[in-house]
Amino acid sequence: MLTTIRSALSPGGWAIVILAALSTLLVLSRPDTRRSGLDMWVFARPHHEMYVPNVESWNASRDPDLNLYLLSLPALERRMSSGFLSDTPVADLIEADVRVASRAFTGPLEDVGFLDLTDRIRESGILEEINGPSFTPWTSRGRIFGLPHDVHPVMLAYRADLVEEAGIDVSGIETWDDFIGAMKPLMADADGDGRPDRYLLNVWETQIDTIEAFVLQAGGSYFDEHERVAIDSEVNARVISTIATWVAGPNRIAVDAQEFTASGNRLKLEGFVVASIMPDWLGGVWKHDMGDLSGKVKLMPIPAWEEGGCRTTVWGGTMLGIARSTRDPEAAWELAKHLYLSEDLARQLYESNGIISPIRRLWAREFYDVPDEFFQGQAPGRMYIDLAPSVPHRTSSPFNQIAKERVRDALTRLRQYAEQEEMFTLEELLPEARRQLASAHEDIQLRVDRNVFLKEDSEGQR
Amino acid sequence: MEVSPARRLWMAITYVLLVATALLMLVPFVYLVCSAFKTNDDVFRSTFLPAGDGLFGAGWGRLTLDNFRRLFTEMDFGRHMLNSVFLASVTSILATLASAMGGYALAKFSFAGRGFFTNFVLAALVIPAAVLIAPTYQLLYWMGLLDSYAGLILPGIAPAFGVYLFRQAMLNSVPNEVLDAARIDGAGEFRVFFGMVIPLVRPMLGAFLLITFLGTWNNFISPQVVLQSSEKFPLSVAIAQLKGVYSQDYALQMAGTLVSIAPVLCLFLLLQKEFISGLTSGAVKG
Amino acid sequence: MNTVVGRSRWTPLIFLAPFIVTFLVFTAYPLVQSVNLSMHQTYGPKTSTFVGGGNFTQLFGDPLFWKALGNTFLFALGSVLLQLPLSLGLALLLDRPAVKGRLLFRLIYFSPSLAGIVFVALLFGPIFEKNTGLLNVWLNSLIGFDLEFPWMERHVMTGLIVAGMWMYVGFNMVYFLAALQNVDRSIEEAALVDGAGPWQRFRHVTIPAIRPVAGFVVLLSVIGSFQLFELPFVLLNNTAGPDNRGLTIVMYLYQTGFEIGDLGYASAIGWSLAILLMILAIALRLLLRRYED
Repeated sequence: MLTTIRSALSPGGWAIVILAALSTLLVLSRPDTRRSGLDMWVFARPHHEMYVPNVESWNASRDPDLNLYLLSLPALERRMSSGFLSDTPVADLIEADVRVASRAFTGPLEDVGFLDLTDRIRESGILEEINGPSFTPWTSRGRIFGLPHDVHPVMLAYRADLVEEAGIDVSGIETWDDFIGAMKPLMADADGDGRPDRYLLNVWETQIDTIEAFVLQAGGSYFDEHERVAIDSEVNARVISTIATWVAGPNRIAVDAQEFTASGNRLKLEGFVVASIMPDWLGGVWKHDMGDLSGKVKLMPIPAWEEGGCRTTVWGGTMLGIARSTRDPEAAWELAKHLYLSEDLARQLYESNGIISPIRRLWAREFYDVPDEFFQGQAPGRMYIDLAPSVPHRTSSPFNQIAKERVRDALTRLRQYAEQEEMFTLEELLPEARRQLASAHEDIQLRVDRNVFLKEDSEGQR
Repeated sequence: MEVSPARRLWMAITYVLLVATALLMLVPFVYLVCSAFKTNDDVFRSTFLPAGDGLFGAGWGRLTLDNFRRLFTEMDFGRHMLNSVFLASVTSILATLASAMGGYALAKFSFAGRGFFTNFVLAALVIPAAVLIAPTYQLLYWMGLLDSYAGLILPGIAPAFGVYLFRQAMLNSVPNEVLDAARIDGAGEFRVFFGMVIPLVRPMLGAFLLITFLGTWNNFISPQVVLQSSEKFPLSVAIAQLKGVYSQDYALQMAGTLVSIAPVLCLFLLLQKEFISGLTSGAVKG
Repeated sequence: MNTVVGRSRWTPLIFLAPFIVTFLVFTAYPLVQSVNLSMHQTYGPKTSTFVGGGNFTQLFGDPLFWKALGNTFLFALGSVLLQLPLSLGLALLLDRPAVKGRLLFRLIYFSPSLAGIVFVALLFGPIFEKNTGLLNVWLNSLIGFDLEFPWMERHVMTGLIVAGMWMYVGFNMVYFLAALQNVDRSIEEAALVDGAGPWQRFRHVTIPAIRPVAGFVVLLSVIGSFQLFELPFVLLNNTAGPDNRGLTIVMYLYQTGFEIGDLGYASAIGWSLAILLMILAIALRLLLRRYED
């Protein structure tokens, strides 16, 4: 009998059987590692590092304990979505960026996975304390679902060393035309290889965030304040036509030095691109990833799209939300306030990442005025704070990401059109730009209309 | 027999082609192994071994185990590996058992509805898995099996492919006379099955065990969709997450990939012949 | 079980039971339910409303779906057309008895298919990087290939075909090899005696003999290629890439069902895929049968 059993499987087969037995024992005997207390998910490593000491001091002195977890952004998005939708475990506190948070707003208002914080925010007076535009991406159908983490105003970072070397004076630059006119000499072909030695601006048809930032700066948008589609507008058309003239044709001034890529960073380090738009958080990233640029970069308000126009825009945004399924909403709310309203954390946030706080009363603090040697002694904090009140509003529409991608497609097609028809001026491209945006608008509108749940709400509430 | 020069030339060309292809196939693996032991800066500085003054002009001193250390301490890869082993081995054993039993029934018994069931199984072979993901997710939700091991293992126990393979194997390798003889001797049906039939289809058992083990080990979409708690994640999901959080740290990713591929390659070395013959028996008659 | 001699009527059904029960619950039922689901719009597995044929009409006019279809089709076509001749070629080379180390070669060619697609996606990440990645650097030094060639931005499907070839050429070769080894040697020798040249032998003896397996391999490859998902999904870091160049049908299904939460629309996509594959399978069968005469 024993020989029959033994001959039933080859050695490899028995290996699998043994593995099964052993692993089953191990898995079943493993204690449930779920810790007590509240769980918090973050996706940004710098945040994680900053929160750790604060969390430790909270855990040492107060209850309940907070367990901090670092996830990748897609993983956080997936698990938040699936947790909200299928009643599976989800963290009590979730730090989410604009795109991820808007996922929670796709369904009926009563099914939004985040706790409605509107009343708490009003009653505690936080609504007045915080910079108004900062609430916009976390507000759906009039209700606020998260505490804002930031303001994220944007300036233009440029290679001051190259600019000074060429003897260019940037103080008079007000509009994009001024900018291009002043910086043109930097594009000369000094090494005689037939190509410009460098390009002026880091923007490309694939950079959907930069495109959106420019649209917002110019006063355009993809959705209006009621989360209705607004892609097809004259302002939007002008912006993307202009960008098309920047990336293609004889007047090209742009190059693709995408953030967070090895090739993009190399182009910046080499000085192949002169200027990039820089939200406050990007300064911290540059210091970390491209330390060699220290002392070579300066900030200036973004050139306006027209005389007297807005000199800043917005890029990114993070919020802290509380899951509706949390075991202890009061504790979670206390914890959220502790983390997000703390002056100490605001200072750390600025000093390690360059991010300015959305809390207005903290703007007077001196740490924002400290000169930064990376930026040749400028005080970025103060500069960004000065621009904070002009920061444009952002939408909370869950369709914004698709809209961004669709506008990118429109711009790509516009560029191809420009190259085919050999039209490279703003006026020539405007009609085609309007056509492309109209088509994009229609696509997104179709999607929005399809969503039965949002429509029910909008019909009920308006 | 005399080998003509033309023949020799032809053989030479054959070998050159074969070896060249083999080298091309191996390059990614070599790259993987080398990168796993390098620091992240070295990954792009040199293709395989880091440059240096050691043997073969390589900087042997620059190799490091750091990536692996981080994987198993900070990233809890030990746990993820355990999950992979558990899911793959348990699923493969249960699936093999169910398939062997099913194939046996279809091959060696005549009963009402046998033809129906056989055609049923054959038809099920062409269902693309993608069409089942959404409704299965919903079903698991209703059964309360989301975010559980059972939710992953149970759906995997009924592969039509398995029943098909075992039916073939039984038809080919299990003579009725042997079964009848055993029954006349007084053996019960399970005795007959486990004592006589199983040893006769031993190659297919090994093959299918490995096929299912492999399939489950490498499966990404099911655990990604069903599981929620990170302590239950198998390597396939953990590795995708690793890439997400450490997207620029290629050395770490390579180490994780190596750790995920190596066990399976080892298992394959043990079960090579059976695996391949099992795999192809479904397509090639006899 | 009792030890009664002879078989009871229930024996076969008892042996079939584990398979049948699991199959009914986890394959048959979901299959039927997916038809039902495809006529609803859902927000997660809990909330749903009936929309009738709305999903399918929406799908028909959905540019993303057609993009996904186009991408997937491109991948399948490229894969099948490139991989299979290569696999067959390798099998033919290896089939000669004089070749030494055949088992070693077979092992080497086959091993990439053992690595899970997820893991291969991670492996090819640094290989496909522009400017610094292995592929561009090598091709650049070999034939002056453009260092900046953006595999993962512009030429996603092409890159995927390359990765797919690495993975599956050996896998398919194994099938062809097994088929070749089953070719009746006596027929081949008869042809040899008749004075048939190598090409004629190939056309009239080898090809007809391996045609069933070739058909099987083509079908398997097509069905597999059309379900491409993990490779672009992980390579492009959980996105569909710029301009959705990496979007495949199953990826669109996943995004719709599990990122947006509409399991109904996802089911509609799933069924479109199933119907498409059915049509392709039938077409392939007919093609095969025509060639047999």
